[in-house]
Amino acid sequence: MAALVLVALIWLGSNQLANFDSALIGYAVGIVALTYAVVMRYARWLRMPSTGRYWRRGWQLTTSWSSFRTLPGLLPRAIAGQLLLQGFIRRRGWVRWIGHQCLFWGVIGATLITFPLVFGWLAFKLEPGTQEMYRMWVFGFPTITFDSTSFLGWSLFHALNYTAVLVIIGCAIFLWRRFRDRAAIAGQRFGYDMVPLLMLIVISVTGLLLTVSASLFHGSYYDFLVVIHMAAVVLSLVFIPFGKFFHVVQRPASVGIQMYAELNGREGRRPCAKCGEPLAPDLFVQDLQSTLQDLGQDYRLDGASMPAGHLTELCPRCKRVARAEGYFAHDGSSFAR
Amino acid sequence: MSLERSIFVDPSRCIGCGACVAACRECDSHRGKSMMNLDFLNRGESTLALPTVCMHCTDPVAPCAQVCPVDAILVSDDGVVHSPDPSRCIGCQNCVHGCPWGVPKFDVEEQLAHKCNLCYDRTSVGLGPMCATVCPSDALYYGTADEVLASRPNRKVVDVFSFGAQELQSGNWVVVPDEFSVLTFPMVGP
Amino acid sequence: MSPQRTRKAFRLSTPPGVDDFHEAGAGPAGGWETDEADERWVSTHCAFCGVQCGMHLRVAGQEVIGVEPRTDTHNKGKLCPKGVAAYQQISHRERLTHPLVRDGGVLRRATWDEALDRVVDGIRRIQAAGGPDAMATYGGASMVNEKTYLLGKFARVALGTRFTDYNGRMCMVSAGAANYRSFGIDRSANPLSDVAEADVLLVLGANVPETFPVYIRWFWEAMDRGATMICVDPRETALARVAQLHLPIRPGTDGALLNAMLHVIVRDGMVDEDFVAAHTAGFAEASAAVADWTPERAGEVCGVPAADIERAAQLYGRADKAMVSHARGMEHQVMGSRNAMAAINLCLATGNIGRKGAGYGTITGQGNGQGGREHGQKCDQLPGQRHFTDPGAIEHVAEVWGIDPADMPGPGEPIFAQLDRMEAGEIRGLLNICSNPMVSWPDEARTRRILEGLELYVVIDIFLSESALLADVVLPGSAWAESEGVVANSDALVCKINKAVDPPGEAKPDLWILAEIARRLGKGEHFPDQTPREVFDELRRASAGGRADYYGITYERLEAEGPIAWPCPTEDHPGTPRMFEDLRFNTDDGKAHFNAVEVDPPAEEPDAEYPIRLTTGRTVAHYLSGNQTRRIGYLTDQTPSPWVEIHPNTAAEHGIVDGAPVRVTSRRGSTVLPAMVVRTIRQDTVFIPYHWASPVAANQLTKSSFDPISWIPAFKTAAVRIEASEEPAMTVTPPPVFEGGRG
Repeated sequence: MAALVLVALIWLGSNQLANFDSALIGYAVGIVALTYAVVMRYARWLRMPSTGRYWRRGWQLTTSWSSFRTLPGLLPRAIAGQLLLQGFIRRRGWVRWIGHQCLFWGVIGATLITFPLVFGWLAFKLEPGTQEMYRMWVFGFPTITFDSTSFLGWSLFHALNYTAVLVIIGCAIFLWRRFRDRAAIAGQRFGYDMVPLLMLIVISVTGLLLTVSASLFHGSYYDFLVVIHMAAVVLSLVFIPFGKFFHVVQRPASVGIQMYAELNGREGRRPCAKCGEPLAPDLFVQDLQSTLQDLGQDYRLDGASMPAGHLTELCPRCKRVARAEGYFAHDGSSFAR
Repeated sequence: MSLERSIFVDPSRCIGCGACVAACRECDSHRGKSMMNLDFLNRGESTLALPTVCMHCTDPVAPCAQVCPVDAILVSDDGVVHSPDPSRCIGCQNCVHGCPWGVPKFDVEEQLAHKCNLCYDRTSVGLGPMCATVCPSDALYYGTADEVLASRPNRKVVDVFSFGAQELQSGNWVVVPDEFSVLTFPMVGP
Repeated sequence: MSPQRTRKAFRLSTPPGVDDFHEAGAGPAGGWETDEADERWVSTHCAFCGVQCGMHLRVAGQEVIGVEPRTDTHNKGKLCPKGVAAYQQISHRERLTHPLVRDGGVLRRATWDEALDRVVDGIRRIQAAGGPDAMATYGGASMVNEKTYLLGKFARVALGTRFTDYNGRMCMVSAGAANYRSFGIDRSANPLSDVAEADVLLVLGANVPETFPVYIRWFWEAMDRGATMICVDPRETALARVAQLHLPIRPGTDGALLNAMLHVIVRDGMVDEDFVAAHTAGFAEASAAVADWTPERAGEVCGVPAADIERAAQLYGRADKAMVSHARGMEHQVMGSRNAMAAINLCLATGNIGRKGAGYGTITGQGNGQGGREHGQKCDQLPGQRHFTDPGAIEHVAEVWGIDPADMPGPGEPIFAQLDRMEAGEIRGLLNICSNPMVSWPDEARTRRILEGLELYVVIDIFLSESALLADVVLPGSAWAESEGVVANSDALVCKINKAVDPPGEAKPDLWILAEIARRLGKGEHFPDQTPREVFDELRRASAGGRADYYGITYERLEAEGPIAWPCPTEDHPGTPRMFEDLRFNTDDGKAHFNAVEVDPPAEEPDAEYPIRLTTGRTVAHYLSGNQTRRIGYLTDQTPSPWVEIHPNTAAEHGIVDGAPVRVTSRRGSTVLPAMVVRTIRQDTVFIPYHWASPVAANQLTKSSFDPISWIPAFKTAAVRIEASEEPAMTVTPPPVFEGGRG
């Protein structure tokens, strides 16, 4: 469905394919396939009990009247903090944050340029009667004209080179970490952690080499590089639903989680059934109980040994202490006989 | 049991010294962050304490991973339930509240849940996990059931527990007195 | 939005029992790096306590960045929280990195030349006016033997003073005195691993789980084997919890208990007559002294049922193999030495000595508590546990030192006897290396008066301790991982400490500092610039033929074989893990000596005004005066401040609830601490851990009373009154740091 919508949009946006650059057909096909796969994966993801519940509950809360008043303040702040500035990564370490910001803005920038180009939503055409004046066409509508030899012109044509450099810096930082940092090395898997970085580097380097080849070496190896570049891009796109790249799709959910926690948290936190300290919002505990039930796990308590109907009504410490009480009630205080 | 060697928790031997909590921070795979929990049962009454490590549940497999909405918690083929993948974890705390043992911790600043990964950098190359390596009292012991049973009389090791109505099998073990009935431990519910 | 919500609206909160890691104490100075490529491991032993656990220090360049457990025979890779965090003191931000001198009442930065000139001029001035004995030295038993040896030599050769002593005066001296009188040698008769082999364990005043956590394995192994444990402690520690018989006696009454046990053993014919006849002397006097110490009488004195004392005696007396272990709880009393003698009397009466699983041991508290008293910094001894009473000893050591035996100063006095001389103005200068009396000595107000009244007070330390804060000159020395050396642990196992990094900044090796002062005093011929190895080789020769004979122990052997127990007279000698296996003792007659023990009451008895007994001690996260551990993030996080342990009944009587502030007052001082209301302590006793400085120092309350034999302070037996406090609990003052001109 989404793939069909996309194809329709390509048709419309590119002036019935008039602006469509046929050299980029491979990319277009890749993206259409990607859309299909991502949506499938997303749907499967939402079918997980916990995810689905968050999804439904998130929309429910967001569209409720009470939220409506606070949402204009909350949502932009959540998006800015969670998705754009990524302060939570900065608190994991400055180097990691710089690396991730480079990667993030590099990839976002490249995507914003290439996807519309590929779909023909964005096109640059020589103004009739000039040698260097170009006009930018967006979704089939003419916009600004500019001199291709000017700084602005050069920058627009080579914007992908900037993003490539950003991506390479980001990847280099993370690769360095992957080889040096024992924390990262301990649990890393080649396919999951290394391949995505390597693919991004291949894409960026071949992309840069295309420019180098065109402007310095009169296009030698250009065709070869084009093929490599396209293959790497298409592979990466297809890879998205299955590997590390899927976090790009998943991560926006953290905005939803923030909304959920925030809106939910206004009701206050329910107390732990044993120690009485604030535990978590009531709705959260209920949702978690339903999720566990959906998963076929039954942590209901009979309420006899403590005033709780379900294990999740205890705070983590009380779960541990209750276990210790059970143990020592049997064992007395000593292991010696 | 897919773990060849595992951690054996024997609360009756615990002296509450906190070496496990301190040592956990020294493991390279989570430096500076202690995944250990050490709780005094009721200091007003006695010095009894209980160390809690991740039990690496095998059946149902890792409830923490199952309640995670973003598949952030990986269970590797050797049965180790890993710490949430930082690139995926969205900070919802489902694992924190969903774990029947009370194991995962949550870093508010980093919006990231953490849990014991059995010192994967160490155990995957044959070293013991930090907590059990340093534990002065062997309340935490890393090895095999035979080793534990050989040196501790009138004890057995259990890996099946009931939490309320839920029966759960773990990858790590608890050492209990002989007369314990497996299913009435740990007395959280009926 | 709800009113209490702050700008940090997007912060999620955590449920109880889930640590937010950012609340945890700080890590190593360089942060929690995990990407050091050029990391190397330096094999060594822990800086803290007499167990001396093996460990590797993880070192990158000139920074100690972490720890890796190391299996040694006596720790099997195990470490306590102090051991895990010990490395963080090395590359610590608060280390002293340059000398300080006092000007106009304020400490300021100085060059080494300037600081050393002040020291040397001061010493010359004081000794010109008051003679050589007007200058004293005071050392620490946390230093390696190379340093303690050189300090003893420095005092006698460079200063020519007889006044040198060490902080084991608060640690080991009462047990040492008993060991010496009973066995003729001062060391644990059995290694602590023998505990695991015993049938009956008698543990007195030793909170092993908190003070020697790694030794707990031997006790637990014994329990696994089915041993019976008798634990004597006013508190139900994690050890007492497991014991089959716990005797929570009133602090200060161990002598009565032990005498009553010997009484029962004699009364019921449990004495090993053959052993006593063949290998001991003085039994008749000792048994006469306990004739009227019936369990009933002791029960009255100790505040426990007579039947329990009876049972303890029966269990101990009928055991095939029994071990006695004790520590400071029993030793920090005016009865300290006599308590230890009474314990040894039990061993001798039942023949429990010189066998595997049968014997006696005191558990040393300090890292080099055993070694620190063996090589000359203790007032009455020369290297190798040689005594001044032996003219041969003086000749031997004088020859090694290259001095005329006639120039050897005589035996000195315990530091607490010297304090009277300091108050009288006879001793006017003190060089203190590696100790923090402002926290560790009893009666803090008196300690401050004395240190401030000195004409010259020099401190060599790695941090600006509360005691260094009062000094005229502070010299930055080397920490544990900054020089090579050996220590002797509680089992008299000689362990090798290895160097990981250089001292930071302008800080210098302690050996260099002592030798340089000596050279500037014109004694350069006796104090050449020596490496630790050269000092150790000199120590070996000095100790050769003495009781603590290190001659056969070399750095090479320690590196190849691991720890070796002294005495070890030759290089092919395997060392002596267990003493007296041939039932020959180091006394003149070769026999073990009973000592008749007369029981005195504690230093201060509760009365109407001060009705509660105060006892003090350690907690697992801290070491001694806390000058190191109070600066280590994890440990201050685990235990940030002291408290007062009170029984619920006593608390209720005084209207005190758990966590509420309590004012504790003695005749010496007063403090306000939070209450920890626990059933694990006697109703008539309160407990305060002592690692902190004023205003929460336990030693504001303790009394300057001493064991007349060993001069150990009676820390465990002060009298106080408690009351619910209107004021909040006093806050802990962070350990001092030098910041520019602030003193």
